[in-house]
Amino acid sequence: MILLQSHSRFLLQTLLNRVQNLEKSVELDYHWVEFDDVRYHVQVSMKNPHILLLSVSLPTPPLEAVFLGGLPFGAIEAIKAAYGVIVQILDPPRDGFNLTLKLNLSKLPPDEEYKHALLVKIASVREVVLGAPLRVILKYLASRTVAPDMDHLVALVHRPNESFFLVPQAEKVTVVFPMRFKDSIDTVLATSFLQEFVESRRTAGLSNAPPCLWSHSPPLELKGATDDALSANAGFVTFVIFPRHVEGKKLDRTVWNLSTFHAYVNYHVKCSEGFMHTRMRRRVESLIQALNRAKPDQEKTKKTAHTRSFKRLSLKDSCTNSSS
Amino acid sequence: MANTLRLYLTCIRNTLEAAMCLQNFPCQEVERHNKPEVELKTSPELLLNPVLICRNEAEKCLIETSINSLRISLKVKQADELENILTKKFLRFLSMRAEAFQVLRRKPVQGYDISFLITNYHCEEMQKQKLIDFIVQFMEDIDKEISELKMSVNTRGRLVATEFLKQFV
Repeated sequence: MILLQSHSRFLLQTLLNRVQNLEKSVELDYHWVEFDDVRYHVQVSMKNPHILLLSVSLPTPPLEAVFLGGLPFGAIEAIKAAYGVIVQILDPPRDGFNLTLKLNLSKLPPDEEYKHALLVKIASVREVVLGAPLRVILKYLASRTVAPDMDHLVALVHRPNESFFLVPQAEKVTVVFPMRFKDSIDTVLATSFLQEFVESRRTAGLSNAPPCLWSHSPPLELKGATDDALSANAGFVTFVIFPRHVEGKKLDRTVWNLSTFHAYVNYHVKCSEGFMHTRMRRRVESLIQALNRAKPDQEKTKKTAHTRSFKRLSLKDSCTNSSS
Repeated sequence: MANTLRLYLTCIRNTLEAAMCLQNFPCQEVERHNKPEVELKTSPELLLNPVLICRNEAEKCLIETSINSLRISLKVKQADELENILTKKFLRFLSMRAEAFQVLRRKPVQGYDISFLITNYHCEEMQKQKLIDFIVQFMEDIDKEISELKMSVNTRGRLVATEFLKQFV
């Protein structure tokens, strides 16, 4: 799986199971965590098997991207638009969570394909909620306008205590990601990956993709941001998004890809390290085999029912530290 | 490029053939002890002159011999930051498994990337020629592995970037 998928597989599985066994009363109470500190809680009680309570907790936003009202701006409208009557937002949300949704599974549309698509959309609640502000800005870009009273430099959260920046304009939106990694090896691998982004953009087939730049120091667009927003040990990646990248069906995909860009790079850095470990282990085994070839052939002992095997005295036994 | 590698490895092989004449030698200072003299370096009459073979400024090999032990220290070429961390990671991985390799030293000598310690006991257990073959093959394998790791990182980077950018087209 090269690309990160927008729906949570476990959540989709749980929803599909519930929908198939709607009449069976069961008690469900699941907690789980996904990448970048997004936590989920699902609850179904025996009394109402067709009601499912879904709670989502989002990563803590840094100072410049604080949530007003506990949710990113535009999130509530996005939820209503995506899910319609099936979902009811509970206020206040469950303790420790940013959002609690009450799903009425008996109100799902009867058509199989439509139902499945809607369940996938519910499982992509993370994309809908966290990506809501980005979606708003890019929707304005699709109509080549800018949202009224939008700041020049917008900060949106994508990881705990870290944000990425947007400069929305009428004809393009510039997105800047400060890339930070805790481990020094991760940083070096990520830097080489990010430089590949710039290189691949130049290949023929991708001339329609957003122009991509990498720089070690903060780019000019970030002038005016706070100092800790400007420190990034793996440099800064800049994408320029044009209206053609967000028209029609491409909007959702673009929102997901941009919101999870850092997670995507991180995921592949970790996969790369895992692969390197596998290679190194294989190499160690082949080297040890080469070393064993240096030893003269061991005597093969035959074990039958009647004979006992004797261990030949080898030179090794005579070489001990206390030998004179 | 490959030419100098062959010459470098042949030179190391010849030096090792000359240097690997180890015999058992109990410790002179302490009774009933038998230590690798090349590590201690207490008695100059037990040590031979160390030989330093340089392929270029970045790659060299130091061979120190004594009467009962031989120490080979290698410095591997590291062109850029990525090769630097790959080399460090890989050689640390190997040094951690020094027990399995028997002739490997757990910590490299100061100023080098990896070290071997061969004692007379190893020479008694294993054939000298094959042991030298192993050391030379080890050096070739390290170079090959580092360049393959670097290529795999670059290939993956390109694939990752292409897949991501394709999503926008």
